[in-house]
Amino acid sequence: MVAANTVEVSRYIDHKLVQPLNLARLPNVQQQLPRFKNAQNISGIHRLGEVFAVPYTYAEMGLIYDRKQFATPPDSIRVMWDPAWRGKVLAFDDSSHNFSLASLALGGEPFHIAPVRMPAVVQQLIALRRNVLTFYSLPEESVALFRQHQVALLFANYGQQQFKALREAGLDVGYAIPREGALAWLDCWAITAGARQPALAHAWINFMISADISRELTRRQGLDNTLDASANSLESDKLWWLEPVEDDTRRSALWTRILSGDRPEQFK
Amino acid sequence: MMRFGIAAKLALLLLGFGFLSMGLVGTVAYTNSRTTVLESAQRELLTATQVLGRQFQTNMEIVSSDALMLSRLPSAPRVAQARLTQDHSADEAALVAAFEALMVVRPAYFQVRLISAAQHGLELVRVDRDGANLITVAAADMQEKSHNAYVFNTLALGAGQVYLSDISLNHEQGAHDGLDKPTLRVATPVTAADGSVLALVVINLDLNGLFERLKADLPSAYQVYLSNHWGDYLIHPNPAEAFGFDAGRRIFIQDAFKPVADLIKGTGGSAVTSVPPITQRSPGLVAAFVRLPYGAQRDEQRFVVLGLSQPMAQVVKQIEHLGWRTLQVMLAGGVGALLLAVLLARLVTQPLKRMTEAMQGFAEDQTVSLLNDNRQDEIGVLAASLNAMQNTLVSNLQELNASRDAIEQLAQHDPLTGLPNRALFQDRLVQAMTQAERDHGALALMFVDLDGFKPVNDLYGHQVGDELLNVVAQRLQDCVRRMDTVGRIGGDEFVVLLPLVSSVHDAVVVAEKICQSLHEAVNIEGHHVMISASVGVALYPDHAHDMKTLIHFADTAMYLAKKAGGSQMKVAVVANPDRAV
Repeated sequence: MVAANTVEVSRYIDHKLVQPLNLARLPNVQQQLPRFKNAQNISGIHRLGEVFAVPYTYAEMGLIYDRKQFATPPDSIRVMWDPAWRGKVLAFDDSSHNFSLASLALGGEPFHIAPVRMPAVVQQLIALRRNVLTFYSLPEESVALFRQHQVALLFANYGQQQFKALREAGLDVGYAIPREGALAWLDCWAITAGARQPALAHAWINFMISADISRELTRRQGLDNTLDASANSLESDKLWWLEPVEDDTRRSALWTRILSGDRPEQFK
Repeated sequence: MMRFGIAAKLALLLLGFGFLSMGLVGTVAYTNSRTTVLESAQRELLTATQVLGRQFQTNMEIVSSDALMLSRLPSAPRVAQARLTQDHSADEAALVAAFEALMVVRPAYFQVRLISAAQHGLELVRVDRDGANLITVAAADMQEKSHNAYVFNTLALGAGQVYLSDISLNHEQGAHDGLDKPTLRVATPVTAADGSVLALVVINLDLNGLFERLKADLPSAYQVYLSNHWGDYLIHPNPAEAFGFDAGRRIFIQDAFKPVADLIKGTGGSAVTSVPPITQRSPGLVAAFVRLPYGAQRDEQRFVVLGLSQPMAQVVKQIEHLGWRTLQVMLAGGVGALLLAVLLARLVTQPLKRMTEAMQGFAEDQTVSLLNDNRQDEIGVLAASLNAMQNTLVSNLQELNASRDAIEQLAQHDPLTGLPNRALFQDRLVQAMTQAERDHGALALMFVDLDGFKPVNDLYGHQVGDELLNVVAQRLQDCVRRMDTVGRIGGDEFVVLLPLVSSVHDAVVVAEKICQSLHEAVNIEGHHVMISASVGVALYPDHAHDMKTLIHFADTAMYLAKKAGGSQMKVAVVANPDRAV
């Protein structure tokens, strides 16, 4: 068995490390919310009509905002580029996510940026760099920066847990999913290609997505399950389940230069 | 055997006591010293850590001074304003020269920069270290740095204030030597005459290089640990453990060294600890840590936790060395105790041995060997007592011998005259007869009976009678040879044995001499006493071959002499002794 997010599962499928599932053996899938029940909606877990994984928990990366500075919750991801908040935005130091966000902000699809669009996305990221206070890495770092520099807006890479941490630090913050949608982790169960007892493995997956276990997961870990509607997002909110991106290495190389402070003309 | 027993027991006892006390003292000393060694190792380590920390802080102050010095160069604000107004390449050149001059003398500086407060934090002047060279970065390669904490935090400071950054890996591309290296940034604002912040001077400090230099004075076995205020390792003996957070992996110092948690929380200034050996690969260590505030920030004081460790093996080696020394001292002491025990045992048992020998000699032949009783101790007293005992025993023995002789005398002699009595005389007679028989010799036996003794006794009393008997005894002894025996066998009856005679004639001569001698008057207490004697003589083997017969013949001959009027001698007349019976 393997429990992994959609990016990982997708790679496993490509490398034939996991085997197709027999949905007939997983009746509990029918109890899942519509966005999870239909595997065809989740590109990372199916290939050629076959389903390889079943989601069981997820976490989206929304926006955390200072309710004192925002009269109404931000509704677009483009707010991170708004000069009104210059020096008051905290972004996260991650090449893949930031390219996805910039692509979304430009009205594109996050995970597959065509080479022709890339210069625009890079310029968009330089613009982001010029608008943010900084790019944080650690959750506790984000809390400290938020408080010390009167930050208004924060990209919540750590999602709900980060939101809770800021609330516990005494900050009056809100949580929003922008209309472009939010990137989201989606953790799934899959069966390794070499598994000798697939029947038992199917039984395990079916058990792990049962109502009892799903609710226990939410109760104990504070993680959303796949049966009940989340308290943090609406069913209508667009969630972008993470997928392998078009070229991770390229994004990373570009991001390092952007973060180092290379100017727009240096990318030409 | 007895000597060995006491000596051995005494020696064993002394030795046992010696070893026991030494073992106790040794163990206590070792245990105490072990703790002391461990504590002193920790104390030493803590002192070294504090010194190292102080050096680190001093270096921070030096870097801060350098940054302030650069920020006050007149060319700095001019260059910062140049981009906005006119060209100032001369000022730029002056600034580059200053940066380079500083970096030449400060090998731990990766990079010195002037960064604009405007233009998204564009670098204005930048000198990078690249191996042995210093590179002045071209304007086209300059980068925007406004989104970095060291920029926006420094821009918020006033003139003369210095910002010290968190320590991180420098991933800023094009940083030459400093790329991906642990870096501490020291920055200070460059201000215009009106106090407005135009730019900042930033010095990138090579953290590892700095600690390599600071560590050079420490013993090579010491290893350095450094963590940020969250406890993430920044320096670790195993480089893979440092900057785990940079790769999304948190490795905390307080997880490995529990007491450091207090330093992280801010409830302690220093901590010492020892990590016991877990495996062959992590053989345990002693470590000391200090909480090291640095930089005076607007917000809470920044600090790092600095630590030094020493392999437990080194401490253990000291402890083992100590244990070995203790053991050596104990062994030497043990040998000493052994010698002392033997010596003492000999001291005590040697006099005992001499006493034993003296007593054995005394028991064998009553020879008194006086013991040395000069000593003032119990042995001396014992020797004196034994000496006294020997002397008492000897004198008692002498008295006993005298008494025995006296008793013997009494038993075999006549108490009045001291002459052999009947028993002794018969004994001598038997001996003489045996001798004569063996030698084919002859002996003579005489019976001497005083005539008229009873009237003397009656007339003058027993005292005179007794005195008279003594005189008779003396005269009889005067009449015979030394080898002859005179005995008294009754009131006035005496016997004479001549063990060696050649003929009857010899005996007759003696007998007549006796008669004549006793016939002379005796003066006793003024009384003139006249007595005489009748003497009967019998010879062996002439008259008899056995004692009984011989006595009978002598007695009969005496009787005949008395019957014949006394004061004369008669020889037994019998040719054939067998017929005479």
